[in-house]
Amino acid sequence: MVRLNNILYKADEFTLGPVSLELEKGGYFAIFGPSGSGKSMLLELIAGLRTPAGGDIIIDNRDFTFVPARKRPVGMLFQDYALFPNMSVFENIAFPLRISGENEEDIKREVGVLSEQFYIQSLLKREIAGLSGGEKQRVALARALAHQPSVLLLDEPLSALDEELRDDAVKTLGILKKDGQTVIHVTHNRNEVSDLATRCFRMSAGKLTPID
Amino acid sequence: MQARDNFNITHSLFLLLGGVALLFIFAPLAGMFISVNAPHLFEAATDKVVGNSILRTLLISAAATIVSALFAIPLAYILARKKFPFKGVVEAVVDLPIVIPHSAAGIAILGLISRDSALGAAASAVGLNLVGSPFAIGLAMSFVSIPFLINSARDGFAAVPVRLEQAAETLGASRFQTFTKISLPLAGRSVVSGLLLMFARGMSEFGAIVIVAYHPMTTPVLIFDRFNSFGLAYARPVAVIFVAVTLILFIGLRIYQKRKW
Repeated sequence: MVRLNNILYKADEFTLGPVSLELEKGGYFAIFGPSGSGKSMLLELIAGLRTPAGGDIIIDNRDFTFVPARKRPVGMLFQDYALFPNMSVFENIAFPLRISGENEEDIKREVGVLSEQFYIQSLLKREIAGLSGGEKQRVALARALAHQPSVLLLDEPLSALDEELRDDAVKTLGILKKDGQTVIHVTHNRNEVSDLATRCFRMSAGKLTPID
Repeated sequence: MQARDNFNITHSLFLLLGGVALLFIFAPLAGMFISVNAPHLFEAATDKVVGNSILRTLLISAAATIVSALFAIPLAYILARKKFPFKGVVEAVVDLPIVIPHSAAGIAILGLISRDSALGAAASAVGLNLVGSPFAIGLAMSFVSIPFLINSARDGFAAVPVRLEQAAETLGASRFQTFTKISLPLAGRSVVSGLLLMFARGMSEFGAIVIVAYHPMTTPVLIFDRFNSFGLAYARPVAVIFVAVTLILFIGLRIYQKRKW
């Protein structure tokens, strides 16, 4: 469960909020809005990459408003996927597991499970530079889920993909919904998640409104 | 079409002008190698004083580079990532050793380590004389060469997308882990280039070192000493050996760097 109480954030002349929101566990939530409306900013606030000027961020009944990003039960898929080019696909997915101190056997097993889930078993030894956009998206999703976050934040996950890869990518996102993962998906294109979203919101000039 | 692109007038002119620049670097060095007297070269090559000075120069410059890196790399990262008041002033201070005369740098360092200074007095109290010591040589080398490491590493860190560091943080990495596992490896090429530049600049230093430590002699000081005492014929073989050693060393290090990064 994610609850935002009157979140307020100011950056130069732009003001986001106050935003209040309550998202139930296991839902797939879509936030639409034009570029510069504050969608990505809202995700960065939830992820802990920005600190709000006011309000509370509650995840699973715990206040995370001032908790650093690394300690939040949040996974994030960045628009450009932000895969580490100095690591192989395997090492990218294993990164959060190594950070949390898991042993090599568990890391191999968990990376194996995730790579099967996202059909990337054959990519594990590959370098990031050689992957297609669709492959990068699946690797980034597997990595974001490796530390089993309560909520997964998707920042324009389809915008970097060619038209012909989008259908497959939407199917990949469908895996998350099927598995009951709580997802917040921000996009400027309402049509791309019309089949996935359980609830939708519109973001405009820093204000969030629900769409029925 | 391809041939026209390859041989247009502008590029031909650039080739000609660039060739002059290359010749300007190459000709004096080649001339030095060609005109060296063989018996004098053999004599210098078997001279323990020359061998020891080269070893001393390389070791002190390497040590100065490694110790400086502990301070220079964090500063480079801060300069690449953070905005703070008077950042421009800090960057100008970093570049100061490049723009001031190295004899002036030597005078400044001498002031820092002479017995009248706090550091010099403290060393003197435990029986150490910093002036004329390998420590003084290392300080002089570090002072004149540290900007090369800081600037190169800063450019390397600045080229690492902030997004990658943010991604590492959302995956549970602390700032330090993010630095060691993401920022530093991705800026590695620039950091290593900076280390090599600093090492090279340090061991070629003369002006600052000759003021803080004429003895023990580094090779640049020895070349000057031989020239002053015995003339060109005796200075040139030492210079040839030193240039040859550094050339082989740097070609080797550059090949290693290119393979690894």
